[in-house]
Amino acid sequence: MLRYTLLRIFRALITVTLIVSLAFVILRMSGDPAIIILGPEAPPEAYAAFRANWGLDQPIWIQYLKYFGAVSQGDLGNSMRDGRSALQVVGERVPLTLAITIPALLLKILIGLPAGICAALYRNTYIDRLIMTVSVMGFTVPSFVLGLVLALIFAVKLGWLPSGGSDTWQHAILPILTMGLIGAAVIARFTRSAMLEVLGQPYIRSASAKGLVWRDVVTSHALPNAAIPTLTIVGFMVGSLVAGAVVVESVFSWPGVGRLLVTAVANRDLAVVQVILLFIGFTMVFANLTVDLLYGWVDPRLRTKQLQAGS
Amino acid sequence: MSYLRKHAALFLGATFLATSCFTSPALSEERPDVTVAVQQIVNAGALDVLREQSNVGARVFYSIFETLIDYDRQQPDLPQKPGLATEWKRIDDKTVELKLRPDVKFHNGDVMTADDVVFTFSKERFGQLDEQEAARKEGSTLFTNTASSNSVGKVPPAEVAAVAKRAWPNLDRVEKVDDMTVRFVSTVPDPTLEGRISRYGAEILSKRAYEEAESWLDFARKPVGTGPYKVVDFKPDNVLVLEAHDAYWGGEPPIKTLRFVVVPEVASRVNGLLSGEYQFITDVPPDQIKTIEDDAKFEVVGGPITNHRLMVFDKNNGPMQNPKIRQAMTHAIDRDTIVNALWGDRTAVPAGLQWEYYGDMYLSDWTVPEYDLELAMKLVQESGYNGEPIIMRVLNNYYTNQVSTAQINAEAFRQIGLNIQMEMKENWQQIFDTESGPRMVRDWSNSAPFPDPVSSIVNQHCQNGQQQQVGEWTNEEFNELCIKLETSTNLDERRAAFQRMLEIAEREDPAYTVLHQSAIFYGKPKNIDWTWSGLQSMDFRGDNFKVNDLAN
Repeated sequence: MLRYTLLRIFRALITVTLIVSLAFVILRMSGDPAIIILGPEAPPEAYAAFRANWGLDQPIWIQYLKYFGAVSQGDLGNSMRDGRSALQVVGERVPLTLAITIPALLLKILIGLPAGICAALYRNTYIDRLIMTVSVMGFTVPSFVLGLVLALIFAVKLGWLPSGGSDTWQHAILPILTMGLIGAAVIARFTRSAMLEVLGQPYIRSASAKGLVWRDVVTSHALPNAAIPTLTIVGFMVGSLVAGAVVVESVFSWPGVGRLLVTAVANRDLAVVQVILLFIGFTMVFANLTVDLLYGWVDPRLRTKQLQAGS
Repeated sequence: MSYLRKHAALFLGATFLATSCFTSPALSEERPDVTVAVQQIVNAGALDVLREQSNVGARVFYSIFETLIDYDRQQPDLPQKPGLATEWKRIDDKTVELKLRPDVKFHNGDVMTADDVVFTFSKERFGQLDEQEAARKEGSTLFTNTASSNSVGKVPPAEVAAVAKRAWPNLDRVEKVDDMTVRFVSTVPDPTLEGRISRYGAEILSKRAYEEAESWLDFARKPVGTGPYKVVDFKPDNVLVLEAHDAYWGGEPPIKTLRFVVVPEVASRVNGLLSGEYQFITDVPPDQIKTIEDDAKFEVVGGPITNHRLMVFDKNNGPMQNPKIRQAMTHAIDRDTIVNALWGDRTAVPAGLQWEYYGDMYLSDWTVPEYDLELAMKLVQESGYNGEPIIMRVLNNYYTNQVSTAQINAEAFRQIGLNIQMEMKENWQQIFDTESGPRMVRDWSNSAPFPDPVSSIVNQHCQNGQQQQVGEWTNEEFNELCIKLETSTNLDERRAAFQRMLEIAEREDPAYTVLHQSAIFYGKPKNIDWTWSGLQSMDFRGDNFKVNDLAN
């Protein structure tokens, strides 16, 4: 098991290195931070001074080697916009993002899971159709549209909630609701299809034929077996906790990592982008690893396979 | 427990009494808090006028800093007026002497003196000392300069030194005559000295506050100026919180706490205004004006600013080498239609690259090339154009209505027989790039930070200006006139030089063509009296801000 876990971590490190390398090359080849940060009316001497100061006037391969040399010594670099440590710049945004993405994740699970189970158990009834209609709507409406509509209703028309910002806990409600509703629709659809597949299996018919109460059939036999696909999608959502709110943060002016990522990419603030990518990479890797381990816990057959693969 | 309750009650009572006795209701209660939603506070992440070179910074800095000579910013012709200096006079063609306003207090309580003014224009503040240069070189380590360059020590980033050099190319020194008198001395005759003293970038800083700050960045995050509001908190890309500077020389500021918050999405800014979350929103695109004004409680104000939108030509490549093609393009642009259709006539077509606030240097009989498709087609024919593609590089609405304007112009160019290809680009580096293909036509805007053509045509299009520096365009006669315009002190000679420069750059050998005057619009409740400024600054001083009815 340890070998299996270490192997996964090693693979993850390679993935993260590739992501960071690719981002380095793409960002450096597609824009000059000097012009972007200083603006198009700054004098040419200012651009030249900026480039020289940050080493942007050197060949890209030298920049790449120096960057990785510094990273290997734990120096993730500074923001080109104000010279502060990129880790600090990103670090102070992470709690703000988690303040909306974690409650949103809980909302997704609390609404999506029961809705999906309910739709499967009442397949082809009006309950199923109602849940799936709402789910398809949630699935297809882009988050920026839903966000603006919610703001229009609850902030502009009713005046119950603030339309944007991050000053009070009330400011978090609309972003959480926007992400929660859309995510719940996704979970509901996955849960429904997983449940339907399991409910059609012979062992469910056997359990019913043995005289088990339907509720026990569902809770003891159907739900655990349907958990794997749902666990996968929830794991993916956990992996997106750090940077999964880019659009919603922009719509609601929530100063989290997502908005920082947009600004940093637009400004080609390389060190900041790289730190965010590292955060995202490690969160994804951690989430995937946790989900893999949970697979084994949920389904003992998979645990045996994992152990065999690891040995 | 009862002991605790008793003491808590006593403490609360004492606090209440203390608050009632020592706080003037006029200061703490009657003044409103105001939130302004902006697309961005500053692009460069720091509140330093010598680093922030974008238009967006100008609107927040006027609340924090002031210059020695100011403008009557709400007047259309922007006349100069005393700022931190009460009077000024020419000593000779290289020297201007200024009397400082007495009893001006910085945000840290210090009284402004000639020492602060001298320091503001010193090599140390500009980051031009040898040891600062050396520290920068030592600290440069490719994205990871944690050592000494940008954030550690009193070493401004290298671009600050470069911007200062451009803003003050001929400044020899600023000398203290006495505590309340200073002299600006130029190395060469400089007719623009008063203009430069009044420009964005010449704001006076507190010498003591700068020296006491641990680093340039610390000061640039919480700068100390003389403006009506002082910086309390600044989180780049998020919020700038300013508080009333009650010792302000111009009277108590009318707002208690002034917040600039970053709201990147237009729709979110509009929602926030209509829901009462924000009292002002900036950068309202013309197509959103009706949405706001449909609500009777709100209005949109604003209009043309000291910035013109241009189309810029690179005369080195393909058909653009022929001046007739460039001339044809300047005559094919229907500027009035653009202003009418895309801007609802809320801006104007200016008389070339100049503004009326140039005063004596304004050439009132000059115009942009007339819209004449027949003449344009004739010029194309005369050029011997063989259908080679002409590439227009366009950013995705970096400027308001940029893409729509480019599409209208591209159609007009096709109408006169040009093979126009529009290429959408993501950023300025891609616009300037010469390796991915021939550079021919691009968009730009030019500001005039002080009332003289030197601030625009010289700064942007002469030898040291961006257009010639990036290698798009040059003209020998034009370059000789640049020097004359910059150094001559004879008004007639300067006017003639400027006239000829416009003839060359806008008609004979077009370097650029002016499309229209840029405009900025603000959304606000009707019950707030507030006037916008053509200088792009937002003025929240007592004589320009009044809430008529707090209940609304």
